[in-house]
Amino acid sequence: MSELSVNHLLGIKYLQKSDIDLIFNTADHFKEVINRPIKKVPSLRDITIANLFFENSTRTRLSFELAEKRLSADTINFSAASSSVKKGETLIDTVNNILSMKVDMVVMRHPNPGAGIFLSKHVKASIVNAGDGAHEHPTQALLDSYSIRERLGEVAGKNVVIVGDILHSRVALSNIFALKLQGANVKVCGPKTLIPKYIDSLDVEVETNLIKALEWCDVANMLRVQNERMDISYFPSTREYTQQFGLNKKILNSLNKEIIVMHPGPINRGVEITSDVADSDQAIILDQVQNGVAIRMAAIYLLASKIKQ
Amino acid sequence: MKLLIKSATIVDQQSDYHLKQADILMEDGIIKKIGTAIEAKADKVIDIDGLHVSQGWFDTSVSFGEPGYEERETIENGLKTAALSGFTDVVLNAQSNPTIDNSAALYSVKAKAHANAVNLLPTGALTVKAEGIDLAELYDMSNAGAVSFADYKKPVSNPNLLKIALQYAQNFDGLVQSFPLEKKISGKGIVNEHHNSTLLGLKGIPNLAEDLQIARDLYLLEYTGGKLHIPTVSTEKSVALIKEAKKKGLDVSCSVAIHNLVLTDDLLSEFDTRAKVLPPLRTKSDTKALIEGLKEGTIDFVTSDHDPIDIENKKVEFDNASYGSIGLESAFGALQTIFSTEETIEILTRGRARFKAESSKIAEEESAKLSFFLPEEKYTFEKSDILSTSQNSIFLGQSLKGKAIGIFNNNQLIIKE
Repeated sequence: MSELSVNHLLGIKYLQKSDIDLIFNTADHFKEVINRPIKKVPSLRDITIANLFFENSTRTRLSFELAEKRLSADTINFSAASSSVKKGETLIDTVNNILSMKVDMVVMRHPNPGAGIFLSKHVKASIVNAGDGAHEHPTQALLDSYSIRERLGEVAGKNVVIVGDILHSRVALSNIFALKLQGANVKVCGPKTLIPKYIDSLDVEVETNLIKALEWCDVANMLRVQNERMDISYFPSTREYTQQFGLNKKILNSLNKEIIVMHPGPINRGVEITSDVADSDQAIILDQVQNGVAIRMAAIYLLASKIKQ
Repeated sequence: MKLLIKSATIVDQQSDYHLKQADILMEDGIIKKIGTAIEAKADKVIDIDGLHVSQGWFDTSVSFGEPGYEERETIENGLKTAALSGFTDVVLNAQSNPTIDNSAALYSVKAKAHANAVNLLPTGALTVKAEGIDLAELYDMSNAGAVSFADYKKPVSNPNLLKIALQYAQNFDGLVQSFPLEKKISGKGIVNEHHNSTLLGLKGIPNLAEDLQIARDLYLLEYTGGKLHIPTVSTEKSVALIKEAKKKGLDVSCSVAIHNLVLTDDLLSEFDTRAKVLPPLRTKSDTKALIEGLKEGTIDFVTSDHDPIDIENKKVEFDNASYGSIGLESAFGALQTIFSTEETIEILTRGRARFKAESSKIAEEESAKLSFFLPEEKYTFEKSDILSTSQNSIFLGQSLKGKAIGIFNNNQLIIKE
């Protein structure tokens, strides 16, 4: 198969396994490109992409922008706190205004779950979801799986534990969908207050003991505690959280095997992982960041080639 | 006016003509004769193939927006929609701007419905501006014709306030409503907490939020006495709690919204804001319990929970969309997807005394209060079926069975021909 089954990248749950394979194979090529002296291809010279960030982001926005520039696409950027949009203009109007300037693709981060899906039904452009509330963050999950594949050869059959704030995390949800689709086994680990009550309906096991979870896994994906999304305290103190769910070198060394440690960033050093873990050989956090550009290039390139048809 | 209805099938368990075809002759709003092949001169003859007729239908919760939200719906068009959807009596929520929390406001709403074919039964706000702080003038509103007191979808968070309301309203036999939602538990939840909320990353409202509030309210009722109505229950456990309370002899009634009976939260998969309602659509095990509860009488009423919302508040991101769906137009057709015609009619006509709605009989010399419908037609509910000013129907695209076509009430005929 040489094209995606979808016209938008709204979430992993709308993809098929063959889509992921295609994105990964395309990303292999682009990863080689970005390590050349001239890190650029002319593929998307006729494509204009709008990066609309209705919520703060640093690395995802930079990663998308870099991916677009490496593909020679024209880009425009728009950042706004959702509140300023709420004051007057609706999302559809905002985006249609931008599209009327002949934009082909929209990369959007938005605080509301389903915002990308909503937009895809009402505007004429290819939509890439760069994170929508606690729903999905598909390119993050793709780059995470891609990084696992790079380090371990394949994703199928691997045991992956996602640790931390699952309740508020689009990264967790997209990762669960992506890993299950590729045949990995997934557990989530964290305080029960930060795990959705019905997470088992996604065929995911809950393990509240970090050591047990780590002993089981090949890969530990340590999520950031998203204090900014919490309306009340889900645990008494950061200190207690770290005591129960923080990963340090001592724990890592006590395991009877060498696991891989991932983190979608930004890291709260000393909270979910200590510095010596983050900087260890077992951590592939910076590989994830580099792979992010290749994955986003692949996704954008494949979606753009559908527009061109 | 003389009106002759030709060969209509009468659906009325109290009538000798139950499930039989008959002609009905009416004069000045009174049923003069029921029989086969009535020959009489009439000002108007209705002869529609497959026509069925029953006692007038009753809805315990509709909102028409007026005053304040006329862009959503007006009382005039709302009542016309009710009539053409088969309803002769509707209880109007106090959900307007300003809120109907005093007798003057109540009179003005009633004046808008004066001499209408449909009887409009207004609910007064339970608390001033429906803010949940101070009781509104319930006695004064009761004298002005309020049939119950409710802050619509705003729960009475302060248990002492509900205690006082239930005690106070007993002086004038007032019916107090308490919306079943414990807000601290529901938090920022907007959909049912279950598989679909997990899948979609939408914040969930657990069944617990409803169950806990109902348990609290029933304890209060047991202490105070008085009359309590719990509008639009949605969970399995609510039905069990209310069943138990009724067994104890508490004077409690409850209703269920038709969409909560017929639909589940599977409808959320595309983040369609039309499916954003409160209480949220739940799961199959809830709908099953609700249907059983309704059949056995634990649940007293179904309601369309008709709530017109303008497109500006629905065609937005799911989080930002308003709750609510219109429901009058689809009520009969949706109920018939789960109940037989006889059951549907029994459910739509029962219990009206609770809200001081007139009852009726299909018998000679009785005043005529009739609903007209065609029960057999199967169809997909579409925009062309909508009569309301707002089009926010949760049932768009659903397969329904049977259509209402009008009413005869207050000596007025409103019918689709």
